Amino acid sequence: MITSTLVISVIVVVVLGMFLSEQIDRSVVESSQSSSFSEAFADRLQIADALAPETDDQSKPADSGKKGSGNPLDEVMDIVTGSGENGSKKRYDVLILNQSVPGQSRASGSVVPQDVPPNLQRNVQKTADGRSVGFVVKIRFIGESQPRLTFVVGGMVHVPATGQDYEVYHFFPFTEEEELLSTVRLAIVVVGLGLVLLLAAIAYLVARQVVTPVRLARQAAERLAAGKLDERLKVRGEDDLARLANSFNEMAANLALKIHQLEELSQVQRQFVSDVSHELRTPLTTVRMAADLLYDAREDFDPMASRSAELMQAQLERFESMLADLLEISRYDAGAATLDLDSVDVRDVVLRAIGDSEALAERHSTRFELRLPNEPCMAEIDNRRVERILRNLLFNAIEHGEGRDVVVTVGADRDAVAVAVRDHGIGLKAGEETMVFDRFWRADPSRARTIGGTGLGLAISREDATLHGGWLQAWGQPGEGSQFRLTLPRAAGSDLKGSPLSLVPPEIEMRRTWRTAMTPVLLPASADGTGHDED
Amino acid sequence: MTRTRRLAAALAIVAAVALAGSGCTVIPVTGPLTVQETGSGDPLSKPFQRMIAIPPRPTWGPDETIRGLQAAMAAYADDPSILAKYLTPEARAAWNPSGPVAVIEDEYEIVPSTPRDDAAQAQTFTLKGRWVAKIEEDDSYTPTAGVSPRTFQLVKAEGGGYRVSGLEDGLLLTNADVTRAYRATNLYYLTGKTQDRLVVDRVRLRLKPTQTYAQTILERLLKSPSHALKGAVTTSFPPGTKIESIRSDERVVINLSGPLSLSAEDTLSAQIRYSLNKNEIAKGRVIEIQVDGEPYTVDRPSADDHWLDDTSDTAYYVSKGAVHYMGQDGPAGAVPGAAGEQRTGYSGFAVSRDGALIAARTSTGISVAGLTQEGRWQEVIQGTRLTPPTWHRDGSLWTYDSQNGVLLRYDPITGRGPDRVAAPKLSGLDVTKLRIARDGVRVAVMTGENTVHIGALTGGSAGTMLGAFQVLTTTEVGNKITSVAWEDDEHVLVLAEGKAGQTLNEINVGDGEVVGVPLKDPLESVTALGGRVLAEAMTDQGAKIEELDQDRQTWTVKIESDAGSPLFPLG
Repeated sequence: MITSTLVISVIVVVVLGMFLSEQIDRSVVESSQSSSFSEAFADRLQIADALAPETDDQSKPADSGKKGSGNPLDEVMDIVTGSGENGSKKRYDVLILNQSVPGQSRASGSVVPQDVPPNLQRNVQKTADGRSVGFVVKIRFIGESQPRLTFVVGGMVHVPATGQDYEVYHFFPFTEEEELLSTVRLAIVVVGLGLVLLLAAIAYLVARQVVTPVRLARQAAERLAAGKLDERLKVRGEDDLARLANSFNEMAANLALKIHQLEELSQVQRQFVSDVSHELRTPLTTVRMAADLLYDAREDFDPMASRSAELMQAQLERFESMLADLLEISRYDAGAATLDLDSVDVRDVVLRAIGDSEALAERHSTRFELRLPNEPCMAEIDNRRVERILRNLLFNAIEHGEGRDVVVTVGADRDAVAVAVRDHGIGLKAGEETMVFDRFWRADPSRARTIGGTGLGLAISREDATLHGGWLQAWGQPGEGSQFRLTLPRAAGSDLKGSPLSLVPPEIEMRRTWRTAMTPVLLPASADGTGHDED
Repeated sequence: MTRTRRLAAALAIVAAVALAGSGCTVIPVTGPLTVQETGSGDPLSKPFQRMIAIPPRPTWGPDETIRGLQAAMAAYADDPSILAKYLTPEARAAWNPSGPVAVIEDEYEIVPSTPRDDAAQAQTFTLKGRWVAKIEEDDSYTPTAGVSPRTFQLVKAEGGGYRVSGLEDGLLLTNADVTRAYRATNLYYLTGKTQDRLVVDRVRLRLKPTQTYAQTILERLLKSPSHALKGAVTTSFPPGTKIESIRSDERVVINLSGPLSLSAEDTLSAQIRYSLNKNEIAKGRVIEIQVDGEPYTVDRPSADDHWLDDTSDTAYYVSKGAVHYMGQDGPAGAVPGAAGEQRTGYSGFAVSRDGALIAARTSTGISVAGLTQEGRWQEVIQGTRLTPPTWHRDGSLWTYDSQNGVLLRYDPITGRGPDRVAAPKLSGLDVTKLRIARDGVRVAVMTGENTVHIGALTGGSAGTMLGAFQVLTTTEVGNKITSVAWEDDEHVLVLAEGKAGQTLNEINVGDGEVVGVPLKDPLESVTALGGRVLAEAMTDQGAKIEELDQDRQTWTVKIESDAGSPLFPLG
C-alpha cells in the first residue's frame, strides 16, 4: 500500500512539477522577452528620431554622414546606453551597425559585431522597418571566461532622409532569469520531494491504522482456535473495524456458550450412566443370589428349566461384568481413576495375564508364542490395570485369532517398556485401527460374541494406558491379522518419546520393504500417536 | 472514526491557517523592509559607448576611406584588426600607432593635395581640422591650438575602393572620439617631502570594455604621474606593485601584489580612495585592500578630508591698510597686532596656513607680522622688485626677486636669511606674480602681463627646484591678467582685463579646461578657497568685497565699503 502510494505520488508530483516548472519558465521568459522587445523598440524609435535630420531646430545639412559637433548618433547612444553625464547603467548593451557609412557604428559595454548571431543578422537584414527579431543564445563576451545566456533583439532603423540603414541590436542578459528559474525549479523539486515523503508518511499512518486492528483480530482468532475461549477483541471507535471486533466477540461468546452447554450435556449423560450402573447393582445382587439358588438346584429341575437356569446364570455373569466395566469407565469419565504404582517386572505381569488366558486359549485351541527378553523389564506401573490391559488384548487376540498362534512380545529400552500382542486372524480394515478403541465398537455387528466381551474392554484399556502416560495402539491388515502394542514409560509421569517395539510386525515390515524396494508407499496403518512409533 | 475526524479537522485547520496567512493574495501587503546599504554605493564602472569600426567597402571613395580610417583609429585600442584592413601591407608594416594622440575638432575636411588624377597610382589627400589637444603617452591632456594638416596617400585596391599606403604615425581622434572613449581622471599622489597631503594629477584615461573604470584608474595610479608632476610627488606604491583583482560585493575588495610597505597603509588607502571617489567611483563604500589575498587594510568612508583640505578657512580683507577678519556675512574686526592697524605702504598681503603669520610687500622688501597682540612688522626679505609674497604649506615664505632673477625662500622657524631656490626655467623671464598652491607642489607663475605658467616644486629637502613648467593660459597682447588665485588643488582663477572687458576664468591646471565665471562689477582682485570665491569689486561707491554664490552665477556683496584685497590663507 505504501509502495503503491509512493509510486503514484511520485508520478503525480513529477508530472505536476514539470507542468508547473514549464508554466513558470514560460511566463517568466515570455514577460522578459516582451519587456525586452518593448525596450528595444523604444530605443529604436529614439534612435530613428535622433538620426532623422531635424528641419526646424537644427540647421544641419541633410548630409549627416559627415560628423558634426554633437553627433546625433553619439547623443542618442549616450541616452540609450546611459553613458551620458548623469546616465545610470542600463541592464542591456546596445550595438548599432551601419555597414555602409564610416564612423556610424557604435556599441556599449563589451559588445562587438561578432557577438551578433549570424542567423539574427540575416533575419534583421531581411525584415522590414519596425519589426524586431529576437534570439536567445549563449554568447561569450570579450573578457569573460564563461558564455552568458543573452536575449539578442535586432531591428532595422531606416533613415529615409539619408537613405541609410542602421542595424540595432540589444543584448539583454538573461542570467537573472536563468538563476530565478533554476531557483524555482530547485524549490519545486524540494517541495515535490517533501510532498512525496509526506504522502508516504500519511499512507504509512493510514495503513498502520487499518492493518494493526486486523492483525490483532487474527491473533485473537488464533488464540480462540487454540481453545482460549475467553479471548476478546478491544472495541475502539465506531468504524468497520470496530464492528468487526464486535462481531468477533459475539461469535466467541456464542461459541463458548455452546461448548459449555455441550460439556454440561455430556456430564449429565455420564452421570446418568454412572447412576444407572450403581442403581442396577443392588437389584442385580438380589437377582444373582436367586439365580445362584436356582442354578445350584438345577439338577432337580426338568431339563428345560435346568437349561434356563444355566443360561440365566451365564447371562447374569455377563451382565455383572458389563456393569463393572460401565462403572469403571464412568470412573474414568468422572476423573476419579487413580494409579496404584509399583515397580514391577513387566515380564511377570505378562506371564500372569497369559496364565489367566490359558483356559480360553485352550478352548480356542490357540497357542501362545512368548518372546520375552532375558533381563527384567522393570517399570513403575499399576499392576492390576496393566494386567487387565494385557488380559483384554490376549482375550481379543484369542477371540479374533481363529485358532492360530498368538505372539506376545515384550521389549524394553532406557525409557519405556512395550508389550505387543499379535494374532493372525482376519485383521483390521483400513481406518479401524482407531475405531477399535471406541466404546461398544464391533468389527462385524453380525458376529456373535463368543467370549462374552462387553464392548468396553479396549476402551477401558486405552484409558488405563493413557492414565499411565502410555500408548495403546493397534495395527491390522485384512488377512494379515492384527497387532496391539502397549507402550509404558519406565518412570511414571515421564513423557514417551518412542516405543521399543515396532507397531507393524517385523515380518510384515520386512516383506513390505522387500516388495516395494523400488516403490516405497506409505504405511497403510498409522494409528493415532503416529510419529512416535519409530524404533 | 474519531481518528479520521481528528485528521480531517487538523487538515482543515492547516488549510485555513495557510489561506488566512496568505490572505489569498499573490503579493501580500507588508513592511517595513530594511536592507543593508553598504553594498549599494557607486559601482566600479560607468557605462560608456564605443566606436565600432567597419572595414573599408569597395564602393567607398577616398573621402569615406579616410573617414573610415579615422573611425578605425578611434576604435583601434579595442580592435586593432579593422584598422589594418585600411592599410596596404607596406603601410601596415611601417605605421606606428604609439606616440601622442592628436585630437582634432569633430568637423574636418579632406582635400586632395595634388590635383585629382585618376590615372595616378597613388594620390595624396590632406585632412584639415583644427587641433584641440594632444594626449601624451603619460596620459596627460594638453590643449593645443592651430591647424595642423595630416596627409594620407591612397592607392586603389583590387576589387574596388581604396587603401591607405602612407600615413603619419600616431592616432588621430576627433573630440567626440575622446569624449566617448576617454575620461578625464584625477589621480592622487603624495606630496614629496611630508607625504601628509595628496596632490592631484589630471589625466585622460581610455576606457576599456573588458575592464572596470576602477581597474583602469588603479592601474594608471600604479604608474608614475604625468610629466607635470614628475619628481614633485611620491607614491606609496613601490615599483612592482600589481593589481590582481578588484571585486565589488558588499565592499570593494582590491587585491594587490608586490613589495608593499606595512607602514604605508594610510597613504596607500588614501591614494586609492581619493583616486576612485573623486572620479565618482565607489563613493561611500568600504574599500578593503588585500595584499596577495591577505587583508592589508580596510578603509571606511569618512567625512574627514584632511588629505586635501587642511588649511584654515578664515577669510581676511584689507581696509585702509589694516587687515580685518571677514565673517560669514560681513566684517568681523581687525586682526590683532600691527597688521590690524591702519597704515600705508603695505600691499600684497598673504596669510600663512594656520593663520598665525601675515606677510606683505613694502617698497623695501617683504615684511612679516604675527597675528597676535604683540605682532610687529618685521622685514625678512629685502628687495625693491619682489613679487608679492606667497606662503608654502610647510610654513616658508616665497617671493621672486625680479631684479636679481632669483627665487627666494624664507623660513620663519629658523629665522635665517632667505635661501635661493633654483628655478632655471624662470631665468630671463619677467616674473610678475608667484603663487604656491595649497598642496605645496604646484606653483602658478605669471610672466609679463598676460601669461600664466604652472610649475611644480620638485626634489627633496636638499635640492628643491621649481621646474616642469608649462603654459597654462595666455591672453592676447594688450590684454592684462590682473589677478591669479588658486581655488583648489587643480583650479586656478585668472582675472584678465582687455579691451572687451573683464573675464574671470576657472582653469584646470591638469588639462587646461576653462570654465568662465560671469561677472557683475569690475573686479580688482580675486581669492578663493574650496568653493568660496571672494573678489574686490570697484563700484561707484568704492571698493567692496563680493562673494560668488554657490550656483556660480551671481555675486553677493559681503562688505559694502572700504574693503579690498580679500585673501585666504595660502593659495
